[in-house]
Parts: sequence; C-alpha cells; structure tokens
Amino acid sequence: MAKQRQTEVLQVPMAPMIDVVFQLLIYFVLTFREEIPEAHLAVNLPSPDSRPPTPDVKPPQLLELTILPGEVQIQGRSHSWQSVQETLAYLGKIDDQQTVIIKTSIMARTEEVVRVLDLCKAAGLSKLNLVTLR
Amino acid sequence: MKKRSEETLETPITPMIDVVFQLIIFFVVSAAQQNDLIDLSLNLAQAKDVSAVKKNDPLTVTINVHEDGKVNIALQEMTMPQLRHVLKSTVAQYGNRVPIVLRCDKRALYREVDKVMAVVGEAGLYRVRIAAVAGGKD
Repeated sequence: MAKQRQTEVLQVPMAPMIDVVFQLLIYFVLTFREEIPEAHLAVNLPSPDSRPPTPDVKPPQLLELTILPGEVQIQGRSHSWQSVQETLAYLGKIDDQQTVIIKTSIMARTEEVVRVLDLCKAAGLSKLNLVTLR
Repeated sequence: MKKRSEETLETPITPMIDVVFQLIIFFVVSAAQQNDLIDLSLNLAQAKDVSAVKKNDPLTVTINVHEDGKVNIALQEMTMPQLRHVLKSTVAQYGNRVPIVLRCDKRALYREVDKVMAVVGEAGLYRVRIAAVAGGKD
C-alpha cells in the first residue's frame, strides 16, 4: 500500500503542461517580428507655391550637387564617390549650415540619391534641398 | 433516477472557456498585427552614417514605392489620383505637419520617387523623409 502511494505522488501531469507550452509557443510565434533598423533621411522639397523666385536675391552659400545616372557632380564638376565624400566632409567642416541643392536626374536610381544624402548627413550638412532635373 | 437527470443537464463549462480564451487571444493578436503593415518586399538602400529611427511619430504616413513604380500605403496599392485623394484628406484631418516617409526600392528610378513627391508637395505636406536601412553605426 505504501509503495503504491509513493509512485502516485511522483507522477507529473504532462498534458496540461503541454497545453500551456503550446499556448505560449503560439503567442510568441504570432507576435514575433523581425525588427529592421530603418533610417529616415530628411529632405526639403520645392515649395508647392509656384511663384517664380526673385532672380536678384541669391543666398550667400549654395552648394550644388547634381546626380546623374552613375555620376555625381559638385558645382558642375564630376567626382568619384571617394572624392564626393572627401569634398563634402571638407565643405561640411567649413560651414555645415550652408544650403545644399541636390539636383537629381529622373533617370538616377534611388540608391544613388540615398548615398548622396547619407554622405551629406555624415558631413554634417543638414539643409538639403531636393530638386528634380527634367 | 432523479439524480441522473440532474447530471445530464450540466453543461461542461471549462472546455468552453478554454475555447473562448483561444478565440480571444487569436483575435487580439491578429488585430494588433493589422496596425503596422510593413512592405517587406522592398529592397531599401543602405545609409551608413545615419542612425536608425527609434521612435516614429504615430501620424506618419509611409508610402512604399516599388522598382516598377507601383505605389502602396500599408500594402494597399494606389494610383496617383488615389494617393492624392488620401494625402489631401490626411491634410484636411491632421494638418500639413504630418510626416511622410518614402520607402523606395533602391533600384527604383528617381522618376518614380519624383512623381510621388510631386503629389506629396501638391497636398501641401513638406515633412518628407526617405527611408534607408541604417547600417553599422548607431
């Protein structure tokens, strides 16, 4: 009699435990989402106001970048990516508050635009204006 | 005999509650998933020097632009007039300070992005950001 009682006490109720474990498993599988670190690059767009800008007043510091398919120009001169990075870093050190106009060809890839924006941010330049070349 | 009829009238409450809880959990979890639909089929460009966004403004409108120029918001595909309508009603409801995030495929031509930006600008929205995958530095 005593022996039988001991074996009964040692039994663990497996079925409800498995129930609970499955519940937890289903919950975590359903709520799992891979977190992708996403960066957001702020740009200024041309104002929807279509009045032509006054031609006489020119902002003091204007840095003009042009993105063509597979090519980047700074103030009209073509540069390699390495040189773009160095030039922007140099210009950013001089004045990081200068206005940057990024003229983008419609045939350029988004990847190139993001790369230029990224390099500008890295150089500390924050006044980025995106203009489309047609 | 009387005792037996009493027994048959009893309803098994416990398994019923189990099933009801299962259903509640299923609906709560699937409803929460509806809120942030992210288009994972897009291949975003890499941005090495910009840190990842930690907190997003809950009002943000995310517009996905595919390589072939197809545009969707929360996986719902839209034509340009539809997008214009959606953005205009957003401005009417929340004002023009609503942030816009453009998630563009890195192979997409800028022409496609420009079309969307034109519509965004036309609606009067100006807080525009271009999304990229944050790389390395944080």
